[in-house]
Amino acid sequence: MNSADLFEQQLVALLPRLRRFAHGLCRNASEADDLVQQAAERALRSRGQWQPGTRLDSWLYRILRNLWIDSGRAHSRRSKHEAPAEEAGEIADPGASPHAALELSEAMAAMQRLPEEQREIVMLILVEGFGYRETAELLDLPIGTVSSRLVRGRTALLAFLERHGD
Amino acid sequence: MVIEEERFFAWLDGELGAEESAAVAEAVAASPELSARAERHRSMTARLRGAFDPLVIEPVALPGAEVIDFAAAQRARGERRWWHEAAALAASLVLGLVIGTRFIVSDSAPVTIAGERLVAAAALQRSLDRDLASAPASSAHRIGLTFRDAEGRICRTFSGSAANGLACRQDGRWGIEALVGPTEGQTGEFRMASGQDPRLAALVDEMISGEPFDAAREKAARDRGWSDR
Repeated sequence: MNSADLFEQQLVALLPRLRRFAHGLCRNASEADDLVQQAAERALRSRGQWQPGTRLDSWLYRILRNLWIDSGRAHSRRSKHEAPAEEAGEIADPGASPHAALELSEAMAAMQRLPEEQREIVMLILVEGFGYRETAELLDLPIGTVSSRLVRGRTALLAFLERHGD
Repeated sequence: MVIEEERFFAWLDGELGAEESAAVAEAVAASPELSARAERHRSMTARLRGAFDPLVIEPVALPGAEVIDFAAAQRARGERRWWHEAAALAASLVLGLVIGTRFIVSDSAPVTIAGERLVAAAALQRSLDRDLASAPASSAHRIGLTFRDAEGRICRTFSGSAANGLACRQDGRWGIEALVGPTEGQTGEFRMASGQDPRLAALVDEMISGEPFDAAREKAARDRGWSDR
């Protein structure tokens, strides 16, 4: 198969995973879809920079993640003085147990409570299934930093979800 | 045995080597507290994945699909369906390249494979090298737009009786960026100037940096042999 042909097909096949990642980073679905659109456009334009033989998924995740950081979406426009409790209100479900299924909107709201540097790592490792080393390479971070941010992020997330799942 | 947090989670995530993993597993099994903790975290990860995974199960776009089947579109009716555009663009390129390979067996093929690249074959290469949109030659291909793309390459659209396409100059050859079948009614002669083919026009819009070359710039670029500076 021609390499350009393969690139297109693989990019299209990876779009759903990029959307999932973007939903974990962004505050709402439309912001996430905008981000994926921009990432797909950028990937198509700069496909010459992708080296065949290297992982296309990591390259695409990196593009999306950098767009997220660069666009300022990562740094919430929301004022620090605004109480995050309003968001939490959507999450509380009196009847739910810690094992009950989590809605996408609940999961997104919970992710928003994490600092962005923990959020991206929790998404990449726990949801997207990247290994620690792959994540460290993707984010250009030492593996120890990835590991410690993951501990903090998942611990905070567990505390939050269990508190709101009871 | 005291297990540091990072090691505990690395074990939970399957990041440890066999020997170390077995040691941590033993320690966890011996501690009700650690066992419970492992269970809570496994459960949370499963719930998290369960919440996000439907996004992946739903097909966003399939190559070649004309209509994008996406269940969430029902919820989001009225929102922009950008992936339709992205997929259509990708699909048209895929289609173009698939069609392109059929020409390769023929002597008069406009394209050929060089290494791993699809490039203009002899006759098309001559047209791209020499012809000017402002002064159409009597060759098999007619040149449409000439422009520079975001990567600085010079690109030209062309049309022929068998196909319309877009080629960019790279490493001394015209690499084929897209090749699409002729538009309806476009047989034997050029009923549609290339660059007017909507499939190519969309691609040009996507790629172009600045304005298309005017006649003077086109000629100057040709006279330089399409080399950059």
